[in-house]
Amino acid sequence: MMAKWTRSLNLKKVCWEYRVGLWQCPQFLFLIMGIIIILAILVTYIVASRYQEPEFAAITVLALTAILFTIGNLIVRAFETVALAARSKSEFISIMSHQLRSPLSAIKWQLDLLLTGNQQNPLETIYAQNERMIQSVNDLLEVNRIEDNDLILRPAPSLIKEMTQQVANEYKNFAAASNVGIEIEAEENIPKMLVDGERIKHVIGHLIDNAVRYSVGGGNVVINISAKGNKLIWKITDHGAGIPADDQKRVFDKFFRSNQALRYQTEGAGVGLFIAKAIIIKSGGDIGFSSLPNKGSTFWFSLPIKK
Amino acid sequence: MKKILFVEDEEALQQAMGKMLEQHNYNVLKALDGEIGLKVAQKEMPDLILLDLILPKKNGFEVLEELKNDPATKNIPVIVLTNLEGSAEVERALSLGATTYLVKANYKLDELLTKIEIVLNHAH
Repeated sequence: MMAKWTRSLNLKKVCWEYRVGLWQCPQFLFLIMGIIIILAILVTYIVASRYQEPEFAAITVLALTAILFTIGNLIVRAFETVALAARSKSEFISIMSHQLRSPLSAIKWQLDLLLTGNQQNPLETIYAQNERMIQSVNDLLEVNRIEDNDLILRPAPSLIKEMTQQVANEYKNFAAASNVGIEIEAEENIPKMLVDGERIKHVIGHLIDNAVRYSVGGGNVVINISAKGNKLIWKITDHGAGIPADDQKRVFDKFFRSNQALRYQTEGAGVGLFIAKAIIIKSGGDIGFSSLPNKGSTFWFSLPIKK
Repeated sequence: MKKILFVEDEEALQQAMGKMLEQHNYNVLKALDGEIGLKVAQKEMPDLILLDLILPKKNGFEVLEELKNDPATKNIPVIVLTNLEGSAEVERALSLGATTYLVKANYKLDELLTKIEIVLNHAH
């Protein structure tokens, strides 16, 4: 009982457990509100007893009410934050389980066949499904890191052009299967830069992957790298389905998948661009796109040239 | 030989289910998206349809609705076979006329075979 009391008095700890700041933490705000109410009563009493004019007291009460109203408002918002966090956790779990269930079912059925002696060699399929699960879990953990403000970059000097080329090569076969080519246009003198290579490769890979997937009518995906001032800019252009105007505002939102996208591509949790944006912003760059339905999209991102 | 149409975009699942059903002397028709699924159903008139919900081109709900609105296909039993498990999805699929709703990850192939045979025997 005592322990419970002392624990609830340790506001800093309680608020840290909620993972919200002090001014977003209901317990802390209640305490502040209590102090202000007591102060308000005292001040009103003093003002009323000192001055004859009722206007003084009225104005004081009005001012204090305004402050109380603001704090009340903050408390409501704080509860909203906590409630939203709970909702986003359950959304997270439901998407994560769905992402894992598809490959798990595939593995289960392939193993069934193997165990009943009906299948020659399902190992390649099982391996591919296992890779998919690992990728899903990694992505979702990255989302969690981003949300907990725990995304830590490890910058190292990197050869930008080679790095981009390497990622493009990894997607070559996948693109060829959809009749899509990948071209790189890069300026001659791109400097070695300080970036978190693995994460930037992940961003480039994700943008190429999207560009290929939504290139429904074939056509090439073009990756352009150019320097502008002290920034290096990547542009990845496809001639695919484009993004409907209504969906454009939400493409970087977590778990957002446009209905249009689902028509072409049922796989995916809708976290790729959310992660890409967090990585680029954290690296001091910027990310965006322009898109015309049925004409294609260009996704671009920039990074500061740090050597 | 009874015809079973499996509408599923995941090739690994198509392949495993197809192999198992063929082993048990069923004629398996495969469709990798909703649009093709609907066309094959109308053309081939299968005895049973296994239908995923998240599908390219036309999702499972749209396919189900069109199947049930077409007098030619409305009597073909449809087993929804998906990994979605929200109560809203289950309710929607059943109210659109699905015979049963099964979650892929929860069943082994031979358990699914039993479910399929129950539905087939009921239908005829």
